[in-house]
Amino acid sequence: MEVAAHMHEIVKVYPETGNRANDGVSLTLRRGEILCLAGENGAGKTTLMKVLYGLEVPDSGSIHIEGVSQHILSPLHANRLGIGMVHQHFKLIEDFTVAQNVTLGSEPRKFRFGYDLRRADQLVDAVIKEHHFSIEASDKVTSLTVGQKQQVEIIKMLYRNVDILILDEPTAVLTEQEIVPLFTTLRTLADNGKSIILITHKLQEIKNLSDRVAIMRQGRMVGEFITSEIDEREISRLMMGQSISLQLNKVPYSKEKRPIITCESISVVKRNQERPLLQNVSFTAYSGEILGFAGVSGNGLGVLEAVLGGFLPISSGHIEHNRIDISRRDTRRARRDGLAYVPADRIKVGSASGASVAENLIIASRRQFSRFGVLRKSAMREHAESLLQKFSVAGSPHMPLGTLSGGNIQKVVLAREIEQYRDYIVFSEPTWGLDVASGRFVYERMIELRNRGAAVLLISSNLDEILSLADRIAVLYRGSIAALISGEAIHHVTKEELGSYMLGLACQKEYSHG
Amino acid sequence: MVNRSDKIHTHPYMLRSAIGPLVIFSLALVSIIILSLLLSKTPGRTLHYFFLGPVQSTYYFGNMLNTAIPLIFGGLGISLAMRGGSFNLGGEGQIYAGAFVTTMSALTFSTWGIVGAIFSLILGAVIGGLLSGFSGFLRMKWNTNELITTFLVSNMVILVVNYFVAGPLKNPETNLIATKKIPESFQFSRILEPSNLSSGLYLALIAVVLVQLYLYKTKSGYELRMFGLNAMFARYGGIQAGWYQVWPMVLSGALYGLGGGMVIFGTYFATVKEFSAGMGWNGLAVALIARFQPVAVIPAALFFAYIESGARNAMLHSDVTFEIASIVQALVFFLVTSSVLQQLGTKRVRL
Repeated sequence: MEVAAHMHEIVKVYPETGNRANDGVSLTLRRGEILCLAGENGAGKTTLMKVLYGLEVPDSGSIHIEGVSQHILSPLHANRLGIGMVHQHFKLIEDFTVAQNVTLGSEPRKFRFGYDLRRADQLVDAVIKEHHFSIEASDKVTSLTVGQKQQVEIIKMLYRNVDILILDEPTAVLTEQEIVPLFTTLRTLADNGKSIILITHKLQEIKNLSDRVAIMRQGRMVGEFITSEIDEREISRLMMGQSISLQLNKVPYSKEKRPIITCESISVVKRNQERPLLQNVSFTAYSGEILGFAGVSGNGLGVLEAVLGGFLPISSGHIEHNRIDISRRDTRRARRDGLAYVPADRIKVGSASGASVAENLIIASRRQFSRFGVLRKSAMREHAESLLQKFSVAGSPHMPLGTLSGGNIQKVVLAREIEQYRDYIVFSEPTWGLDVASGRFVYERMIELRNRGAAVLLISSNLDEILSLADRIAVLYRGSIAALISGEAIHHVTKEELGSYMLGLACQKEYSHG
Repeated sequence: MVNRSDKIHTHPYMLRSAIGPLVIFSLALVSIIILSLLLSKTPGRTLHYFFLGPVQSTYYFGNMLNTAIPLIFGGLGISLAMRGGSFNLGGEGQIYAGAFVTTMSALTFSTWGIVGAIFSLILGAVIGGLLSGFSGFLRMKWNTNELITTFLVSNMVILVVNYFVAGPLKNPETNLIATKKIPESFQFSRILEPSNLSSGLYLALIAVVLVQLYLYKTKSGYELRMFGLNAMFARYGGIQAGWYQVWPMVLSGALYGLGGGMVIFGTYFATVKEFSAGMGWNGLAVALIARFQPVAVIPAALFFAYIESGARNAMLHSDVTFEIASIVQALVFFLVTSSVLQQLGTKRVRL
């Protein structure tokens, strides 16, 4: 088969964190094939595709499209070269019709300046007919379902005559019934000579749809395989890799432990959602242990974080803190009762970049830093200075947080929450966006907390992290706990085994819920 | 917008951040000169009155300062709302209602002396705060857009006050459509005769200091600012989100209402029909120039008052018409509020 695109030795380093998102990655896409790009979160799949689509400029490496070397500078440029991308989050104008959305940016002209609406409808209808989509050009986007909106995104690319179509986790937002027609469409497109790259970490999709699969791990390409020649377990093993021992100084797991946080069959149901976001989740977090929650994104890790953080009320079940029922507690109450919580999104949730470092550091303990409603500025400054020193943050109390580097902002959030901790602390994806050294620093603090007797709840999609830190591991799959690994088993559990729980290939019997 | 302005003001290189305002100021000067040359037959005379008119006599100078008083209150009102992440477009109605209620209260409690005066001003502030707080409440309850509700409520309130001023509460002794005059003991003293400037100016300056202290030195001010900077972060930190959708609006409206009362006590002494038209919007312009920094509201209001009174002077003493003066004013404010120009020198502007 002819080669549609070839990426050679792509290197992309994010200067803010020094993170090597792509470390010499090569990828070949053949004409008329469906290629699945698989890998864990943070493996560098999306970065690689952003490079191909002109959203990121690589530090080194080369790209050949149809055999010609190209420097792709922008999505517009990529479009002209016949490359299109459908993002996970749709970029549509809700109040416009399908035709208006599709033609946006390359509208058919009337008398050079005018917008020929009728012609736009005709052109878009032609594309819809040609590919047998179920919508009409004159439909308003607001009235469409999620699956139909995705069709609009695909039509947008087809209208621009792309030959290479990239889809970023297209099924993440779709219901089961919507996935089938999408796959049919993609297959037809491929048969008609379009080349398709699908970013995914769902094994079934890879098996059902793709001709070939390329697997990435930690910024590197593990390999490209013909899908029919590789089985799901092998793909899973390659995605997860061998575990890397982090050599952390953990004191033996204490036997005298008391329950701190207990969740009893909690469920979260949201309207318009086919299945519950969390279903019958039960666990107890004890003092002096790290309880790890593993899972692939979209399987309930984020929901669990929101529940523990008091952002999302549970629909049923109950939560206890030191045997006191806290099921109906919001963040405000939870904070008063000693919630310490490092959110996954340290920038949007965990900090205010426009406020000073000192101001960021007192958000949860502001009562301590005010007397009769007046802020104690000198106490705030001293507090900030001591924390900055303790966590070796490069910055000073009065600087706006936004002027610090990414790694330092994360440390500020971490310092605040560790300082805030009373008997339990929630870490969600604590090392996202951190370089290795900073990550290690976080791990050491976490172990320290555990050794001091804290109940540490670690929510993470990074298996290396979970395996080297957690004393017990709960694996979430589709909103339920698929497996709980504890006791002796924790010492022999492999990534491969965890991976099979995470990807739904296996399930511990006592935790299955049909 | 709030985020950006914060960055600029706390930037370590303060000298660099002065580049933007300087460029704006020079551009404004140059454009005023060019416009005068183009549009006036006597450009020298026009420019003379435009630039020197407001400062050449005590009368004009005092009147200019007097114009700045409601602008300071309005500018503070908008700034407070913006710092808390809300928008208050109802200044027009809040000033007018505040002025009206203050007038009526002063007439009712005319025998109470200083207590009556203070009470009347407070009542004006309360009505402004309620009007604007109502929009905040709607936002908290049903997630309505306070931008629209403040505006609509304000328009409605103006009509209601108009009814009272022109109808049941009209003073039959004058030809003006106005209420009765408040007793003389309630009127602020003049501080720069023969101009209209009243001692209300001191109160305006005190208000600036109080708002600045509130925002940056109190716990409530801290919570308000955190909510305005990042509502998600505030919620995560345990700040009551509902309250801070209402509270900044209440404060904002109260400042507008108080501003209205100030104008009554200092300048008009009676609610004249639609006397405050434009004050609310001008307060918004002042807040934009000040980039929602309470302390910067003083120079911004003075600048606004200067340009306005310069335009008025040029109109009186040369061939410049009202329309031309307005165009000049609009151009200056257009330049001043350009965030691209403001950021010159502080960071690379991405277009």
